[in-house]
Amino acid sequence: MTAALLLEAVRVQVGGRVLLDVPRLAVAAGDRVAIVGPNGAGKSTLLRLVAALLPAAQGRVQVLGRELGPGPALAPAARRALRRDTGLLMQGLHLVPRLSARENVLIGALARLQGAQALRSWLRWYPPALLAEADAALAALGLTARAAQRADRLSGGERQKVALARLQLQRPRLVLADEPTSALDPAATQAVCRALCAVAAEPGCTLVSVVHDPELLPLLATRVIGMADGRVCWDLPVAELSPALLRELYGPRVGEPAPAAQPAPGARLGLAAG
Amino acid sequence: MLAGRAGFATLVLLYAALVLLCLATLAAAGDLSIGRNPWDNLLKTLGEFARPSFVDVWFGPERLEYRSDDGTLLRVENRRELEAGFLAAVARAAWVTFQIATLGSLLAALLALPLALLVARNLRAPRPLAWAAKGVLDVSRAVHTLVFGLILVGIVGLGPTAGVLAIALHSMGTYGKLFAESIESLDMAAVDAVRATGASEAQVFFHGVWPAVLPQFVGHHLYVWEFNIRDSTILGLIGAGGLGLLISEAVSLFQWSRLATLLIVVVALVMLFDAVSRRIREALQ
Repeated sequence: MTAALLLEAVRVQVGGRVLLDVPRLAVAAGDRVAIVGPNGAGKSTLLRLVAALLPAAQGRVQVLGRELGPGPALAPAARRALRRDTGLLMQGLHLVPRLSARENVLIGALARLQGAQALRSWLRWYPPALLAEADAALAALGLTARAAQRADRLSGGERQKVALARLQLQRPRLVLADEPTSALDPAATQAVCRALCAVAAEPGCTLVSVVHDPELLPLLATRVIGMADGRVCWDLPVAELSPALLRELYGPRVGEPAPAAQPAPGARLGLAAG
Repeated sequence: MLAGRAGFATLVLLYAALVLLCLATLAAAGDLSIGRNPWDNLLKTLGEFARPSFVDVWFGPERLEYRSDDGTLLRVENRRELEAGFLAAVARAAWVTFQIATLGSLLAALLALPLALLVARNLRAPRPLAWAAKGVLDVSRAVHTLVFGLILVGIVGLGPTAGVLAIALHSMGTYGKLFAESIESLDMAAVDAVRATGASEAQVFFHGVWPAVLPQFVGHHLYVWEFNIRDSTILGLIGAGGLGLLISEAVSLFQWSRLATLLIVVVALVMLFDAVSRRIREALQ
């Protein structure tokens, strides 16, 4: 089975500052990976690189069997196919404000439409089967009553759920989720995580997510990658993760003594793994 | 180069110098005068305007006799009938004016739409095409409707067609600029999200761009349309038909009371349209 994701000798530099430096990272198809690390660790940079939102300057980036460069850019058709197969759940990607929740969900299915159906989609005229699918996706997230509501009249949690339903209709083979539950209340967090797992439950679908909440890691991942300063510090199955490792990665909390003064038991272990 | 408060102060000073230069030039040429007896003229004009001709339809004398100095009866006028006829002519002319503005605005909006798509920077049209489109819009905006009208009257002849085309050619520039600005103020994060699903460029346009800019386009359309109702009254002056023709007639014959009627009709037309368009714009929010 080919790797869903393969990075080799990748380096991203902006103005002399190294944002990302990954000698090698492979994610097998069907894997569920979570990336953890403090702000500025390069997690989002990594995700944006894989989503082709950032140009790869150095090294090799291969996503779903396609080379992202550096080198010749992908042909437009190949780029579209890759976008269709890569589902993004990111903060910089909004809903279309003046379309209803249901119409925003249907946007996910646009790339699946062929021929006359694709032309009809210009007028927002969709096949009935697709409408049923969108309603089912909204119902699963408890948004049936809000389906006709305009996206700019939805709450933050509802918008995130609609974005997830859109992702569901896209049927991606690789899902990249950047802090999918940030700014959500606990109930919404649970619902979003469940839905994200449902999207990734398709056979062969790979899920890569950036999360901060340790409680969500077993839900969303089987493998956890710890990053700091643009580098991968450790790469472990979720079962082997210890609170001490996470504490060491995120640094001392406010009010706690610095690790140098009172070294945590896992600190040396974490460094050795990196 | 120009930064902060010092920069702003410099700009203000430059502006003040420019205004003073304009005033000084006019004053030096002796052109800054307001006539010999402006006060009397003002009162006279106001007096003539104070009784618009349409009042005569109900209150005018039914038998107005014109006599020469020696008392011979020259002519008898039924003021009520005459002014009623004039009012009917005004109604017809107002309808022509409205037609010119409506068709001209629609034509302008349709012509401007593809150009605006090329000009809007965030849609990244090929640069030479964008420059060409911007050039067309700039020329069209720089030349006044009246100038277009004068040229077109020579080409397509007197009548409303020249008016419609003149409005269309000038407003195209206004529409193009307004449309391009609303496209540029678009939430690109939503457009990127649509593109990220693998949708084709046409699908991205119809789902990400079009729904977001359509209400603004309609708002701009109503605004320019209203503007054109005023503009098309002027077009009659150069023979493009409508209320302007009657205005120029009234001015040439010194019929100030009829001019007052005409101005009231223009104001009423614009106010009515403004009230309707405001309702529509509010509903579109």
